[in-house]
Amino acid sequence: MKPRAYLIIFLLLIPLQASLFGPLPLGAAVPDLGLAVLYCVGLLTGPIEGALAGIAIGLLQDVGSASLLGFSGFTRGLAGLVTGLLGRRVLDIQSPSNIIFLFVISLADSLFSALFLEITYGSVPVVGLFFGRAILRAATTALTGYAILRLITGKHVLSWIRRRELQKEF
Amino acid sequence: MPGFFEKNKKYIAILVLFLLLFWLVTIQVKAGRFTVLERPVLAVSGFVERIISGTYHAVIDLGRGYAFLVRTERENERLKNEIGRLRLENQITNELLSENDRLRSALGFMKLNPPRSAVVQVIGKESSPSSSTITVNKGSSSGIGRDHAVITPDGVVGRVQTVLPGTARVQLLTDPGNTIAVRVQRNREEGLLEGKIDRCALKYVSYYIDVQEGDLLVTSGLDGIYPKGLPVAVVTKVRKHEASSFQTVYAEPVVRISRLEEALVLLK
Repeated sequence: MKPRAYLIIFLLLIPLQASLFGPLPLGAAVPDLGLAVLYCVGLLTGPIEGALAGIAIGLLQDVGSASLLGFSGFTRGLAGLVTGLLGRRVLDIQSPSNIIFLFVISLADSLFSALFLEITYGSVPVVGLFFGRAILRAATTALTGYAILRLITGKHVLSWIRRRELQKEF
Repeated sequence: MPGFFEKNKKYIAILVLFLLLFWLVTIQVKAGRFTVLERPVLAVSGFVERIISGTYHAVIDLGRGYAFLVRTERENERLKNEIGRLRLENQITNELLSENDRLRSALGFMKLNPPRSAVVQVIGKESSPSSSTITVNKGSSSGIGRDHAVITPDGVVGRVQTVLPGTARVQLLTDPGNTIAVRVQRNREEGLLEGKIDRCALKYVSYYIDVQEGDLLVTSGLDGIYPKGLPVAVVTKVRKHEASSFQTVYAEPVVRISRLEEALVLLK
């Protein structure tokens, strides 16, 4: 995909995440739209583009929130790299097993963040966060990611993208 | 060896990027957060959040409108009765206030003026694994500035972090970068309340200080951001470690942040 298209999608992710799910009474079950999109990008493009996309999404999320600049960039970059490497081994891109993979990646992301905060600031209830928040979040993120993946790998969308690419080549 | 670098140059570039990011994080842990890019990103995200939130509320309002209309007449009657009762109460309160003023000046106290405030609507909630912020629909054009306190009638919500003319980002009290000077209401013991993502924790509470589950923590006013006496959180867990001279105190915010729709920004 073109960098401009990436930039537009990533810039829209922050406000979409904040305003789409903000008013809904989901509590801890709010899906992480950034991670869900990143999973799709990593799976479809490979480890390098996945890592770069992860770093870009993470940096934008860092700037758009109160977190340390570069922290989400680092964790999301790792997530992008892992999904990219995973994508090379996945035969069926639409398989429901993606729900499990994305669930695990989301859990790892939350756990890494909680451990980092515990080391940096101390007194972070890592276990409570993990069971009270991370699992629910990972479950909804996994389902959202799978839905996005199904949507963008649908026959019509893929053929539309291919047609656009061919038109440009000619 | 050069062949290895040539073959894996993209992976090496990614590794360098990761190391740079890690270095960036470590300097901020020591020296504090970088805030250079916050304003342009808030400008873009605030604009889109305003559109989505506006559309969302318009649709919801349309649905609610009909239901409200049906209940309006009954509500109107009830409100008329309530206005009558409140007028009477208001007269009594005014009497008490003026009496209080007189007594205060007799005691030589400073007259307390209620702080000016702006009512804001929440247009976005951001909650990453490492931070908690909300976006509100008013900014510097309404007199809102950085570090202004954000509250509800129940208690403290957080403080303004970044401001643009029509939008502001609020750092919630549960954000790990947020600290509030508080007191235990019961015995006036002081402490620093720090955000811990979904709850808060009191820092540097000596082992010998009496803090109990259920204690209400109120602002002490010592941080210069929040006025004194606002409810902040309720102590939910106290853990004493024999090996440490401090105790770990966890507290739950009194404001239900997940249900927050409107708030008040206290203007300085």
